Order: sequence, then structure tokens, then C-alpha cells
Amino acid sequence: MKRFTLFVSLLVTLSVILSACAPAATEAPVVEPDAPATEAPAPVVEEPAGPVVLRIAYSSTIDTWDPIASFSTEAAYLPNVYETLLKINKPGSAERYTPVLAESWSVSDDRLSYTFNLRPDVKFHDGEPMNAAAVKASIDAVKDHGGAGFIWWSVDNVEVVDDLTVKFNLSTPQPIDLIASSMYAAYIVSPKALEGFAADENFWADGKSYGTGPYMVESYTPDVEAVFTQNTEYWGGWEAGQYEKVVASLVPEATTRQQMLEGGEVDLAERIPNENLSTFDNDPNYTVFREPSFFNYIAYFNTLRAPLDDVKVRQALSYAIPYEDIINIGASGLGTQSFGPVPAGVYPWDDSVGQYSYDLEKARALLTEAGHEGGGFSIRMTYTASNASEEAFAPLIKDSFAQIGVDVTIEALSLGEQLKLARSGADAQDMTLMLYWPAYADAGADNLWSLFYYTEKPSWNLSYWNSPEYNALWDEASALSGTDFEASKAKYVEAVKLLVDEAPGVYFYDTMAVYVIPNAIGGFEYNLNYPFWHFDYYNLRAAQ
Amino acid sequence: MRAFEFILRRVLTAIFVLIGVSLITFAISHVVPTDTAALYLGSTRARPEDLERIRLKLGLDRPLSVQYAIYMGDLIQGDLGDSIATKRPVLQELTDRLPATLELLFFGMFMATLIGVPLGVLSARWQGTWADVIVRIISIVGVSMPAFYLGLLMQIAFFRNLDLFPLSGRVDSNLRFTNPIDPITSFFLLDTFLTSNWVAFKDVFHHLVLPGFTLAAYPIGLIARMNRAAMLEVLGQDYIRTARAYGIKERVVTYMYALKNAISPTLTVIGLTVAYALTGTFFVEVIFNWPGLGLFTVRSLLALDYPAIMGMTLLGASGYVLINLIVDLLQMWVDPRIRLQ
Amino acid sequence: MDQTTHTHAESQNMRTTRHVINVILRDPLALISTIVILLFILIAVFAPLVAPYPDQGQGSTNAGDTMHPPSEKFILGADRLGRDILSRIIFGARPALVVPIGVVLFAVVIGAPLGALAGYKGGWVDEIIMRITDLFLAFPSLLLAMAIAASIGRGLDKAAIALVVSWWPWYTRIARGAAVSLKEQYFVEAAQAIGVRDSVIIFKHILPNTLSPILVQATVDLGTVILAMGGLAFIGLGTQPPSPDWGLMISEGRTFILDQWWISTYPGVAIFIVVLAFNLLGDTLRDIFDPRQYK
Repeated sequence: MKRFTLFVSLLVTLSVILSACAPAATEAPVVEPDAPATEAPAPVVEEPAGPVVLRIAYSSTIDTWDPIASFSTEAAYLPNVYETLLKINKPGSAERYTPVLAESWSVSDDRLSYTFNLRPDVKFHDGEPMNAAAVKASIDAVKDHGGAGFIWWSVDNVEVVDDLTVKFNLSTPQPIDLIASSMYAAYIVSPKALEGFAADENFWADGKSYGTGPYMVESYTPDVEAVFTQNTEYWGGWEAGQYEKVVASLVPEATTRQQMLEGGEVDLAERIPNENLSTFDNDPNYTVFREPSFFNYIAYFNTLRAPLDDVKVRQALSYAIPYEDIINIGASGLGTQSFGPVPAGVYPWDDSVGQYSYDLEKARALLTEAGHEGGGFSIRMTYTASNASEEAFAPLIKDSFAQIGVDVTIEALSLGEQLKLARSGADAQDMTLMLYWPAYADAGADNLWSLFYYTEKPSWNLSYWNSPEYNALWDEASALSGTDFEASKAKYVEAVKLLVDEAPGVYFYDTMAVYVIPNAIGGFEYNLNYPFWHFDYYNLRAAQ
Repeated sequence: MRAFEFILRRVLTAIFVLIGVSLITFAISHVVPTDTAALYLGSTRARPEDLERIRLKLGLDRPLSVQYAIYMGDLIQGDLGDSIATKRPVLQELTDRLPATLELLFFGMFMATLIGVPLGVLSARWQGTWADVIVRIISIVGVSMPAFYLGLLMQIAFFRNLDLFPLSGRVDSNLRFTNPIDPITSFFLLDTFLTSNWVAFKDVFHHLVLPGFTLAAYPIGLIARMNRAAMLEVLGQDYIRTARAYGIKERVVTYMYALKNAISPTLTVIGLTVAYALTGTFFVEVIFNWPGLGLFTVRSLLALDYPAIMGMTLLGASGYVLINLIVDLLQMWVDPRIRLQ
Repeated sequence: MDQTTHTHAESQNMRTTRHVINVILRDPLALISTIVILLFILIAVFAPLVAPYPDQGQGSTNAGDTMHPPSEKFILGADRLGRDILSRIIFGARPALVVPIGVVLFAVVIGAPLGALAGYKGGWVDEIIMRITDLFLAFPSLLLAMAIAASIGRGLDKAAIALVVSWWPWYTRIARGAAVSLKEQYFVEAAQAIGVRDSVIIFKHILPNTLSPILVQATVDLGTVILAMGGLAFIGLGTQPPSPDWGLMISEGRTFILDQWWISTYPGVAIFIVVLAFNLLGDTLRDIFDPRQYK
């Protein structure tokens, strides 16, 4: 009898646990956004004709909803909500640009002013008209406090010619059409929002939409999801098969995203681990895209101190980098060794600049030439702690340098700590690993300036490399960029060649963009020039 | 009157402790070796003039003592500052995430009690037998399993292989369209129950099971052991023997008399484990992508988002102090002798 | 007089030690645990001799064998950098065991004398020490440790410091409790009567007699500290790569757990076994010193 009671108490406990284990019945996705939540047991609604909700698992964090301040991975979401004057097409397209909020544009003969004719009858999500005044207000705001406001440095002022005509007056010729298509600092935003932000710095905190784009932010729950809904007034119009809603789930862990995609919890997933792609390669339901990207891995040598102030030592170390292993381990082979700090496919990339091979003999010889026979010095190297690729390949550099007698200590730091340390002068590390990408589709204006152009107080030239020759080349190239594209590129290429020869940094590899797209979803197109804008909701179609 | 005095003394001590805690927290957060202004701008690729603007805005140019005074002044008004990463008020970030964490915590503790107490009773009833040994092993295995490892195993076993439970998150994202949850309390289990939203209730429950159990593994062991000890002590007492001598059924003796009296020490240990489980949620939330305080804390720690770290440590310490206070008061209520001490 | 009270403490400790050994020998679970712990300590000490690939264990890469599944060459498989998991686990035993033991020792060394002082002296000394202790005890230990580790920078040493800072108050509290009751005992009162200095009384008479409860607590805590250490490494605040660490290995392998399951699985088993052993041993020890549990 006593046993029996115990048994019952255990059974009750167990049965509660077990009852929880019954598999969940999959409910058909039924859109009924206005249904009162209090409505008791959900009525059975007929299944609609096609799926109208697109569910995506994202790794991209949303650091801000402010299209003006944006300068990070929220560029995965914002281009669905905000639009720029022009859009830059993927490399190899017949036309370089697609007009978006501008219908047409022209450049003056002296190349010092760009005139944009705006698309009529476009409204912001809040009902305000999109016009010349709004364009001027947006660009002025971004120049004043935008995250990437520096891209407009050549613009003296923005002039409202008439309601639908706006003119950019420059101090020096620069390719404004290219800049106006940037994924950062080029969105046209409702003046109401700019006023709102001026009054309250936390205006953007909760996720709002004040753009002209095809989708609006419906809700945002930090760490959980952002929900986007169709802007029914969108000037481009709508057709059947487009998604009415998009649920962007925020899932930082790559394996979790992969499992959600495989398990059908989401329709699309961003960034599946390269190591696990073969699963999808062999599955007829998926197509795997492997494309060149905007990103590359570099390292700075701190050229302020011996022995790295010696070009021979830097060249020696550049020969002692196991490039192939680094690509195999860091990116599962999905990368190509860089030609200087310009990623393949991005202007002004050119393979004539050359690259270093992995050649320990040459490295030893160069060290001996520099007076460091057998190495005998040590190097402090830092990398970004959250970057799994750097974490994976940093030890390869350590082991390889050890073979030429150079001792490496590796430290993982957050990006902020790394930069602070690099700028601390005497205590600064000798080598800083970095993943870099240009703010817009011009690595000449961005990478080549930001990474290696010498200024008094550098913000990103952490090699502290001071080459008047390089600075002069860059200045010439930049000055030509607004007038003579070809001549400008030639100068940039010359500058990159100098970067390779003098080796103020190491140029490891250009990454590849990898997309796993279920065949049930149509309309996916990869555009190198918008590396964070993984999914253009407006283009995607549910297969019928 | 004595009870009142007792409570007052405990509350005053708690306030004193929390002020000290704020000082320690502030000290810890301000040795952070990073460029806070650059972090605030979201990108380290910022212009020098932007950095300067942010430094002024955040008051980073002032001496630390002044910064502390300002922080405390704001704190008294309920302002914990803005998160550097999200730009939202830290207080709002914390209160938004608190229900998710508390729901997980309560669910986990509920599971732990539901499993731990019967295990304790079982092993006390059958002290020295194989059942006792098995319970001892179960409870020690529970406290020895790293939560961050157990979570991974649970995901592989119950999602990947058996497909019984969802992988991560708090609710299925489809529910928003089919059976939206009305966040009355933001405890989804309760909300869906109150609104009779059974489809969502089931889904929320399913999402809770794996993280809940991962969290419960540690407390199960502690509760089972404490309950066993308490039961043994009570079962050895004279009135139990008397009851048995009167021929009262063993079942009644065990549950009506012994378990009732063993509950007080068990309550204490449950209270104290709640505090421990709070730190367990850090790992569980990371593994299960649970949108609560733990996930937020870990991310803030790695990003050195110091207003968020300070807010969270203050909240954690307050929670801890509060739980201890509640445990004391509960004990006083269950066992009035404590008041007289 | 001084001599006799000294031997009093000593003989009591010796009797306790003998008793402990007897109990352990009689309890098979505790015996196995002790053997497992000693085995892991030996492995940690002689890691370079035991590990099949000592270089890889310490971090040397071997890119050719990336993600090698378990085989004759690599019994437990190889990780992303082609390093032998078994060797990594063997070298990982060092931070996993030695550092937590060091953490607990430091915490005892800082915490116990403070507690003895507070308990013996009483009055304002007691008040100050215990209020400070209360402050640290007001934090959930792991949260405090995480906040400190994040602020002073990542790394095994930093994580160890963070854990010491959050652990010492527990021993202060225990030592104080023991000291308060010892203070009333005849041998302490006798020492006071003949004018033995306070510092001598605390270190020679009070502290040695508080050691038993503290050592039990320390053994029980070791499991928790190992878990905490692994947890810190798992979220990225502890040991930094390429150093071997079990928590870090689990974290590194998390991305590959679906196809290359061995990378995370085996280090997890290692942590589990060691913590289990410490907990089983601690459980037995606690039963000895807290007889209430076995009536």
C-alpha cells in the first residue's frame, strides 16, 4: 500500500512531464492581424491561397533604427524601409545605376554640381511628401551627425531648385551619383523624423518608419524579432506573390539558424556556417550561392617601432603568412587571397598589384638582410574577440612565424579595446587583425584612405605608416575620381601597388558571400554593392 | 511589533547594502578599457568631432566622482542611463526583458520543485535502499552538469533527433498572425491562460520545456537533497513515532505530518536556489536564444556596454537581497520561533 | 599552556583527518571520486608525457587535419585547427583543475583570517568586516565575477581574480561563525588570561580550528568554481584561444555540433566527470561534518 502511494505521486509528476512532450500540432499560418487577442479558442480559418508571411532568421544585429546614424549591420533591414536617390547595380550590369527616388540626374560641365530630378507623388510612411526640401534636410542632417556623414565631405551645400529638383554643389569634383547610392548615410528621411530626433535623442529607439520604402516597421522586440509590413502606398506598386509581412527573427547563433531553416521554423536564414554547406549542396530543395563580397581580412603592422619600422621585416613577415591554410581554416576555403586592401570585384580592385606567396625561405632571407638572422624578436598580435574566423586563423600565423624565429602572443579583444590599445602609442600592439569593408562601393575613397592614408591623428590608419608618396598618389586619384574615372583608377592602382610593396599591412583574403536559398522562394538576387542587404523583400516571391 | 521591527531592520540593511553595491558596480564599470564614445556611435569608424560630441553628451570628460554623483542622482529618480549599444534607457531594457527571465525562472523552479520534492520524499521513505542511492546520484548529476553543455545536449536530443520541442526562442513567430498573445502581464503562459488562447498556451509551454529543464537540473538536486534531509529529521521525531504507534497509516504520516513539517527548510533552499538559478539563466538564455536579462547581460558584458552592466548588476543584487528578505519573512511566517531570536 | 592548546587543535585535526579517510574508504562512490580526481590531477601535472600530441594540446596548429573525425590517429577527433581533442582535454585539465584549486585557496587565505578576526574581536572590527562581506555577498557570485572579468579584460588570470573577489566572503562568514563559538572555549580564554597576543591567538588557536568546516566547504565549492570557470570561458570571458580550456572548447565547437559533434561533446564530458567527482566527494565530507543529514 505504501509503495502504491509513492508510485502515484511519482506517476503524477512523471505524467505532467511526459504530457509536455507531446509534439505540437503545426498550425496553418493564417493572417488575421486585427483579431482581438481575447477572442476565445481560435476559430478555424480557411488556409489562404499562398504564404504571405516571410520568416527569416537573421544574425545581423540592429544597433540603431536611425537611418541617419546607421553605420553597421542594421543595413540588412533599413534598405527595405528607406530609399536612396539612386541604387547601384551589381557589377557587370548594363546600367551602373537604377534611379530610385531620383528619376534622372545630370552633372555640370565643370563637374562641380549634380542635379537630381525627383520622382513625383512619392510619400513618406508618415504621409509627408518626398520633395527637394526633404532631400536637402536628410543630407544636411547626415552631414551634421550621420554615422557615415564623411562620405559627403566634398558637398558644399544642397540647393532646393524647385519642389522636385535638387542640386548638390561641390567644392571639388567627386562622384556624387556613386555616393548617393551608398548603403549608409544616403537615405532620404521624412523631415518629421528629423525634427523628432532633434527634439529627442531617443526618438529612434523603438523602431519607427519614416522612409519611402516598400516595407514599414510594424514592431520591434529587441533580441526577438522585427516585423515588417507592406507599405500599401508604395510608389512601385504591388503584384501577386509578394510578401505581405516579413518576420525577421534575431538569432545570433549560426547553428541555431541552420537548424531553424532545416526544421522549417523559418523560410530563409542568413549566414549558414561555411563548414556545413555541403548539407545544402546535396539537397535538391536548396540552391547555394557563393559570390565575391565586400569584405576582406587585413592586419596592420605597427610601423612606429623597431623592428616593424623596417620594410624588409614587414616583407619577411608577409612571406611567412600561410595564406592557403588561413583561407581553408578561417573560411572553410571560401575566400581568395587578397590583392592589397581592395576586395575583389570592388572598385578599384586590380590584380596587377601582385601579392605575397607563402615562402619561408624568402622570409628568412629577408630577415637576415634586415639584420635579424633567425628572427629573435616577439610580436604582440590582437584580434576581435567576437570574430570566429580571426579566432580560427590567428594561431596559424603564430605557428608559422615561430618557424622563422618570431614569437607571437595572441590576444582577443573587443573591437573598441583593440582600437583604444592601437591608439595608445607606446603600449600599442604590433599587429592588429581587422575585418574591413568600405562604406559604399568605392574602396578607393574608403579603404585606401581610411586604412593607410597618413594623418596627424589617425582614426583607422593603425599602422601609423607615413608615406608622402602614397598620400600624394591618393590625393591625385581622389581629385580625378569626379572627372576621369579611368585615370583615377590608374592612380589608385599605383597606390595599392605601393601598399603591397611596402607592406604596412598584411592582406589576407577576400571573403565570399554565401547564401542558402530554398528553391521555394523566387526573386533572390545577390548585389555585391549592398553587402549587408541580404534580402530585398520587395523582390522576393513565394513560388506558386 | 517585534515582526515589524524585524522587517524594518532587514529593509534598512538591504538599502545600505544596495548603496554599497552601487559603488562597487560603478568602480567595476569604470575601469573598462575601451573607447566608450566610439562604442556609443555604434561604429568605431567615427569622425573625431562625433566622438567629442558624444564624450560631452555622456559626461565622460568629467572626474569619476562627479560621474558617480550624477549617476546616483539619476538613479534615485529611477534613471539608469542609456545603453551604449541600443541607445534605449537601461531601465526600459531591463523591465522589457524581466518578464521573459522571470517566467523562465519560475517555470524552471516549478519543474525543480515538482521533481525535486517527490525525489526527496522517495529517498527519505526508502532510506538506505537502492531508491535512495539512485536519487542521490540523480541529484548529484544534476548539480554537476554544466548548464551550457546540458542545453546543447537537450537541443540535439529533443529538437534535432526527436523533434519534440522547439529549438529556441519564446514563441513561434507565426503565432503573431494566427493567435496573437495579448501581453497583459508579459508572462506569456499566464497571458495565454487568462485569454483562453490555448493554441498559444501550448506553444509557449513547449518553448519553456527545454530551457526550463536545463535551468531546473541544478535546483532539482539541491531540493531533493534538502527535502530528504528535512524529511529524515522529521520522521525521526517523537510525535511521528507516536502517530505510527497509534496505527495511523504510513501514507498519512508521510504526507500529512512529515512532509508538512519538512516544507519549511525546503522552502528556504528553494528560495536560495532561485537566486542561484538567476545566474543559471545567463547560460540557458544564451543557448536557447531566450530574450531575457541573461542574453542581454552577456551581450552587454562582451560589448562592454557599461551602463547596461551596471544596471544589470544592480538589478541582480537587488533581486538577490529581495529574495533573501522574502525567504527570511517566509520562514518567520512558517516558523514563528525565528521572530523571537 | 600555549603548547597544550596548540596540540589540542592539532590532535583534533589529525583525528578528523583519520576519520575522513576512513569514511572515504568505506564509501565506494567517494572512493571512486577521489581516485578520479587524483587521476585528473596526475594527468594535468604530467600532461606533456601523457598527451599523444603535446604541441597541439598547447595550441600548435595542424591545418592539414582540420575537423578530423575520431579515428586511430585522433582517438577523440580533431578540432577546426586540426588539433587532437584528447591532447587538448589533457592540457585543458590544467586550467580546469589547478586554477579553480588556486581560486578556492586564495579565497580561503583572504576570507578565513578576516572571518576569524571578526569573530574573535567582535565589536566595530566585526561590524566593518562583516558589512563589507555582506556587500559582496549581496551579488549573485557569478554575475559579480562576470562583471569584473569583463571590466579588467579577458583571460584566464583575469577570470581567476574575478572569481577570488566574488568567493572570499563565503569563507569569511564560515570562519567568523566558527570563531565566535571558539572564543568562548576554555583554551582560548586561558590563552587570553596569560596575555598571549591577539594575533597569535587568532593564527594559532582560532584559525586551525575553523579549518575543518572551511575545507569541507572548499571541496564542495570546487565543483561550483570549475563550472563557473568553464562558464566564463564559454561566454568568452575566461581563457582565450589558442590556450586549451574545456569551456572554451565547448564554445568553439558549438557551431559545428551538428556535423562535427566530437569537438564540443568530449570536453563537456570531461567537465561533467570532474565536477561530479568533486560533488560526490564533497557530499560525503559534508555528511561527516554535518551529521544532521544522517540520523
